[in-house]
Amino acid sequence: MEDESHNNTLPNGFNTGSPESPFLKTSTTTTQHNKEQDRFLPIANVGRIMKKVIPPNGKISKDAKETVQECVSEFISFVTGEASDKCQREKRKTINGDDVIWAITTLGFEDYVEPLKTYLQKYKEIEGEKLSIPKQMRSEQRLQQHHNNYHDQNNQPFNGAYASSNLISQPPYVPTDQKFSLTFSPNSIQSQLRQQDQIDSVGHWYE
Amino acid sequence: MDKSEQTQQQQQQQQHVMGVAAGASQMAYSSHYPTASMVASGTPAVTAPSPTQAPAAFSSSAHQLAYQQAQHFHHQQQQHQQQQLQMFWSNQMQEIEQTIDFKNHSLPLARIKKIMKADEDVRMISAEAPVIFAKACEMFILELTLRSWIHTEENKRRTLQKNDIAAAISRNDVFDFLVDIIPRDELKEEGLGITKATIPLVGSPADMPYYYVPPQHPVVGPPGMIMGKPIGAEQATLYSTQQPRPPVAFMPWPHTQPLQQQPPQHQQTDS
Repeated sequence: MEDESHNNTLPNGFNTGSPESPFLKTSTTTTQHNKEQDRFLPIANVGRIMKKVIPPNGKISKDAKETVQECVSEFISFVTGEASDKCQREKRKTINGDDVIWAITTLGFEDYVEPLKTYLQKYKEIEGEKLSIPKQMRSEQRLQQHHNNYHDQNNQPFNGAYASSNLISQPPYVPTDQKFSLTFSPNSIQSQLRQQDQIDSVGHWYE
Repeated sequence: MDKSEQTQQQQQQQQHVMGVAAGASQMAYSSHYPTASMVASGTPAVTAPSPTQAPAAFSSSAHQLAYQQAQHFHHQQQQHQQQQLQMFWSNQMQEIEQTIDFKNHSLPLARIKKIMKADEDVRMISAEAPVIFAKACEMFILELTLRSWIHTEENKRRTLQKNDIAAAISRNDVFDFLVDIIPRDELKEEGLGITKATIPLVGSPADMPYYYVPPQHPVVGPPGMIMGKPIGAEQATLYSTQQPRPPVAFMPWPHTQPLQQQPPQHQQTDS
């Protein structure tokens, strides 16, 4: 019940915010709402995972789910910080999968390491195979998966036009353009940071 | 498994002989099992010579009986936990071996990336990093929930609550980075619970679960901590269990963790 009500809140809040206020006129409430949502992973996903390790007749209170939401975000920031420090020491700009696994090892989560190494290895194998698939198909699937189109159209006028051009014409004019839309997180509120991200991404793909 | 049990028994025996001194030295290492053992062996030694600190004085026979029961329960608890965790990691490995589709993640990659990007020092993130994080976060949620549920069961409840998560965090060193997320009242409630549970320990064995729940019980041991303010005592406990000295900067702390974690991992490997 609580999960359902929470799920209803998310799309309602999102829908209400978007049409009422374009990006340039974003209200404080919408900004705060977006920030709060973005700081945590969805409570439904978290709750679903939690249920896997408790007995069928066990229950999870909502405040427990919310606490785990915070803990997971803290975990991501904690590991990311360690991985980022390593990249800086080694004069590298991009955090990759091995850096994440290294950081997790350093921070004491030894039990996670072997499963993650296996996971990363399988991912690379499968992704290697998928690189032979046309980029267009792969891009479309990913867009649908992450709902980037929806975010682009409603929150980012600049990127909205960008995304709509992708929708209109199936073959991409420039292959790297689609990679941008995949790499970016459309919900970023600060346009300056967004521009920097674009620049970095250009450099990343060209490297 | 047998080696691990023998090691644990030896540790418990040594700590029993050494008494409070052993507890103090063990706290410095701050690993899970020695800490729990220290709680078992340290408390009786402290309460016996200082009757004024406890509402009820323990007779030698009751003391010995309580200690044996505590030891038995603790051993059972440890075994149960270890079995659950081993089964958990075994399942994780099987699940990963069977993974074929990397597109249907249990957690949204875009959100993970946004959280990563919240760190201003983070510049660029490869496509594989959020994928790895999705798996790591899933394992993190599962482990934290499993350890929290153990606390739920110890309290005879069927609903996992926030204080169960607080207990799991306080019991495991790898979760030290989460202490700021748990409000003090959650930790304080546990402390109060233990204080209450300590009194009827002699009368009713059923109270033992509460007795052994928090590693913070060592607060009772050192007289200095008792004299201090409750908040101060909690902080002192957190620091003493986390590491020898309070963390001055973020950087030095991560380097301490691997060293602290080595002994428990070694034990697990033996088992």
